[in-house]
Amino acid sequence: MKNLFLTLFLAVISITAFSQNDQSTTSGHIKIFSSTPAEDIEANNYKVISIIKPATGDVVFSVPMQSFEFEKALMQKHYNSKKFLDTKQFPKSKFKGTITNLSDIDFTKDGTYEAEVNGSLTIHGVSKDVSEKLALTVKNGNVTGVTEFDIVLADYGVIFKSGKPSTNISKTIKITANLNYTEKTN
Amino acid sequence: MKSKIFKIIAVVIIVTLGYFAYMWFMPHRNIQNTKAFATIDATKLVNEFLSDKEKANNLYLDSEGESKVLVVNGIVANISKDQLGQKVILLKKASEKMGVSCTFTLDSNSQVDNLEVGNQIKIKGVIRSGAEYDEDLDLTENVIIEKCAVVN
Repeated sequence: MKNLFLTLFLAVISITAFSQNDQSTTSGHIKIFSSTPAEDIEANNYKVISIIKPATGDVVFSVPMQSFEFEKALMQKHYNSKKFLDTKQFPKSKFKGTITNLSDIDFTKDGTYEAEVNGSLTIHGVSKDVSEKLALTVKNGNVTGVTEFDIVLADYGVIFKSGKPSTNISKTIKITANLNYTEKTN
Repeated sequence: MKSKIFKIIAVVIIVTLGYFAYMWFMPHRNIQNTKAFATIDATKLVNEFLSDKEKANNLYLDSEGESKVLVVNGIVANISKDQLGQKVILLKKASEKMGVSCTFTLDSNSQVDNLEVGNQIKIKGVIRSGAEYDEDLDLTENVIIEKCAVVN
């Protein structure tokens, strides 16, 4: 009898652990970094929305572009303006993709996994296919994600030919994302 | 005559330097000292974006990122913290799918301490982006306002 209870108990535990609910956050951190001989520019955004769906491998990022904070107020104005990211016209950047090596990742088991993510990144109204690595760490049922990659501004139609921006802003921007996911309950 | 020219040149130089110093040291906008564009219910604000995204973006967002400062009236549905340690209050009715996410600052965080889920409050902050719903992924995106403080 005792064994039966134990078996049932373990069965319930394993079913719960196996349900693999969606992992989501609405307060992820993304840093953008540009380095030129003239100056280094950095901006931080703590309002990044992201979802990972373990069942299908879907990965989504949504970034409110006006939430990037720069040290210099003038720089922030320039970044938002029509000449650069035009954040009034394009208030959000999005990534929609899927994990291609989903079978390598066990969201129920502690460990660090390298997810290969393929999908479409839309910035400044321009979409491009990208393939990046997302390091996922599972610890005590909590999932965290870290990724770092470069984007070329001209790929997304952000081009400055002359003047100060062309010397002070790098053509390639480094993007670093840090995400603390929590299990989505609905 | 000569001294007059020198004076003019000196003035021009000082004004130019002053202008560049101003540009360089330009302070960030103080949201709480900025007059609110409107006082609005959380539900109404969300619905404005869901019914006509373009119109709402045009009304509330600014092309240099100096978007509208709003006082949003609603019911506290959730209190959390972001990865910088800033407190976040979600204003939303239980029956609604999306609400207004209000991020406080490290300075105004303490105002959240005495608040509880279910409280009806008014929060002042700057709008960053509107609400959206993606049916395919069942992804809900709240209206985001930041640099918040509680309005009495």
